[in-house]
Amino acid sequence: MPDNVANSPLLEVDDLRTTFTIPTGDVKAVRGVSFTLDRGRTLGIVGESGSGKTVLARSIMRLNLGTNVTTTGTAAFDGNDVLTRSPSEMRQLWGSEMAMVFQDPMTSLNPLVRVQRQVTEHLCRHLNLNRSEARQAAVDLLREVRIPDPDTRLRSFPHELSGGMRQRVCIAVALACEPSLLFADEPTTALDVTVQHQILNLLSREQADREMAMVLVTHDLGVVAGRTDDTMVMYAGTVAEYAPTVSLFADMRHPYSEALMRSIPLTSFPSHTRLAAITGRPPDLIDPPTGCAFSPRCPYVQDHCVNEAPPLVEIDDPAHRLACWTPVGSPEALTAFEKNLAAGLPQAVAVDVSTTWSPTGGVDG
Amino acid sequence: MIVLARRLVQLVAVVLAATFLTFTAMNTLGDPLFNVVGFVAAVDCDAVEAGEIEDISGQGGTSLGDCAVVAEAREEFHLNEPLPIRYGRWVGDLIRGDFGTSFKNRMPVSTVLADRLPKSLLLMGMAEVFAVALSVPWALAAAYRANRAMDRASTIGAFGMLALPNFALGVILFYFFVVKWQIFPSRFEDDNLAVRLKSLVLPALTLGMPLAATYFRLLRTDLITTLQEDFVVMAKAKGLSNRWIMFRHALRPSMFSLVTVFGLNTAALIGGALIVEQIFSIPGLGRALVEASIRDDYPVVLGATVVIATGFVAINFAVDLVYSYLDPRVRRES
Ligand SMILES: Nc1ncnc2c1ncn2[C@@H]1O[C@H](COP(=O)(O)OP(=O)(O)OP(=O)(O)O)[C@@H](O)[C@H]1O
Ligand code: SF4
Ligand SMILES: [Mg+2]
Repeated sequence: MPDNVANSPLLEVDDLRTTFTIPTGDVKAVRGVSFTLDRGRTLGIVGESGSGKTVLARSIMRLNLGTNVTTTGTAAFDGNDVLTRSPSEMRQLWGSEMAMVFQDPMTSLNPLVRVQRQVTEHLCRHLNLNRSEARQAAVDLLREVRIPDPDTRLRSFPHELSGGMRQRVCIAVALACEPSLLFADEPTTALDVTVQHQILNLLSREQADREMAMVLVTHDLGVVAGRTDDTMVMYAGTVAEYAPTVSLFADMRHPYSEALMRSIPLTSFPSHTRLAAITGRPPDLIDPPTGCAFSPRCPYVQDHCVNEAPPLVEIDDPAHRLACWTPVGSPEALTAFEKNLAAGLPQAVAVDVSTTWSPTGGVDG
Repeated sequence: MIVLARRLVQLVAVVLAATFLTFTAMNTLGDPLFNVVGFVAAVDCDAVEAGEIEDISGQGGTSLGDCAVVAEAREEFHLNEPLPIRYGRWVGDLIRGDFGTSFKNRMPVSTVLADRLPKSLLLMGMAEVFAVALSVPWALAAAYRANRAMDRASTIGAFGMLALPNFALGVILFYFFVVKWQIFPSRFEDDNLAVRLKSLVLPALTLGMPLAATYFRLLRTDLITTLQEDFVVMAKAKGLSNRWIMFRHALRPSMFSLVTVFGLNTAALIGGALIVEQIFSIPGLGRALVEASIRDDYPVVLGATVVIATGFVAINFAVDLVYSYLDPRVRRES
């Protein structure tokens, strides 16, 4: 790594937009996202299903498949835009500089290839290791991600491993060439609850040990709490709120962040309880609303919100950025909420009901 | 071991079912004696003896003498006995390795098969080698750049090849390479392996091209599906080259329908290449089978049926073995 770029941020994304052209129109999956990530830091990207988290991560990695995808803006990695790099330049970055752990470990390993080749094949390419060196490296890697009996496991096929083991293998694959940036795209969504914490802790530990930057994508605010330096809340392809994780949890200002917070399952609840799911559905990305994308579902919505989209601006703390006309907690928001509740707006009523539930009082069904 | 035993049972069942059907059909629909004694076989000899039908010996008609020949032949080939007993006798002979005798020239059926089968197998093998050698690289190239110019042109080409009737391709090849440019012999030559292979090039191409088109379509479609899989994205994210991803990650999981159809086609080719055998004058099993069927020479037809049924079961078995080689998840179950 040349010294002159060492003080620039590792990743600097500016006005990134990704569109898929499909027969019924253009799906604007990411609509102008900007953020920076410094070396060794962690960023959590949170949003419900369809908010564009995966597309954003894959756009930066240049891993969106198909010929119907257009990405504009810049994503500077080490000071150089990756979006303009050639495929062979990307192959130099993939694996060795940027790596990715995918959502579903059941499908992200090739079912017909033994673990050994899947862990070592890119080692040989990037690090010029010979077979026995690569094998030794693979054993060390599996040991590092806490897979018992690595020698046997290397000879296994993916279907012979449990979901958690497979995700550990995927993490080993991603870590193998010591990347400086790791994307983890909902790495635990497909796993048992008991395994989720182990995998998240493993990722955090590796991230810290290797001083590697990490982007942790999740739909669960509870996952980023205490695990990432910064958190970005995404809604319908845009950034709703961006803040250091600590300040975000201390002072959650976006109505959508607040709604996500309400939907975190508390451990004292029965595991099947679906909590305060956000009323309504995400907007149509082919023809998104002109005003605030969250306005059709926002309990604080006012006429202004429907007509004009709020810009992402800094509030009080310069590191805390927000895209909302009337942040949660402001007197205007309270007035708007009272008004919407009186008018019987479903999302306002739902919030009103759910706030009367108390976690300690218990919930039935 | 259990697998093998199960296969053996399957083999016996298939052979018995196929031959029983063939045997019954040929004996009830046709006249097995026709080739032995000629037209007279069809004559009602009881009626001749009773004087109900005119005795016109020597004029190509029926005579009491002919009836004697018919009776003798009936005796020789056990045609007087009821069908089930004759079938049982045939099965008994088969178990002892005796395929019976052809009605046509009284040659042992096993000799006929031993003469015809190797040629058919060689033709089948060459056709499949051509088909696979053509279709696999073609499908890899097309799927890699799906829906681009090369892929679109390939799809049209493949449909064209499939639409062209087999004999048409054969006749075209025959005209140019045999009649016009005289590169290949006009009929099957058997002197040595090289000559044999050379005289099978055109027929194998005729059979192989439509197969290649089928295999191309199957493999291309499956490759395109596989290339959407998460593990391919993951392989990409590891920085592997496209060539490596195509060959070492995408190809194998995309081969299952290809292998299935390959097996079915191969089995069908064992005795089913008769049109091509006809065009290129190859004394193969297909032609023997057709000629024997027309003459109601049922020992030959039955012999060929045994060979073909055995081929089907064997190829089926081979396909299953290939499956378990391809997919470790199958491997564990068997
Ligand atoms: N290849 C594609 N073609 C068309 N639309 C796509 C494509 N990939 C993603 N999209 C659309 O882009 C939007 C964002 O999808 P994305 O996968 O990024 O959501 P996500 O936030 O990762 O959700 P999840 O939590 O379900 O993974 C969705 O509306 C999806 O339908
Ligand atoms: S208050 Fe208005 S601007 Fe803010 S999230 Fe709700 S609809 Fe959007
Ligand atoms: Mg996703």
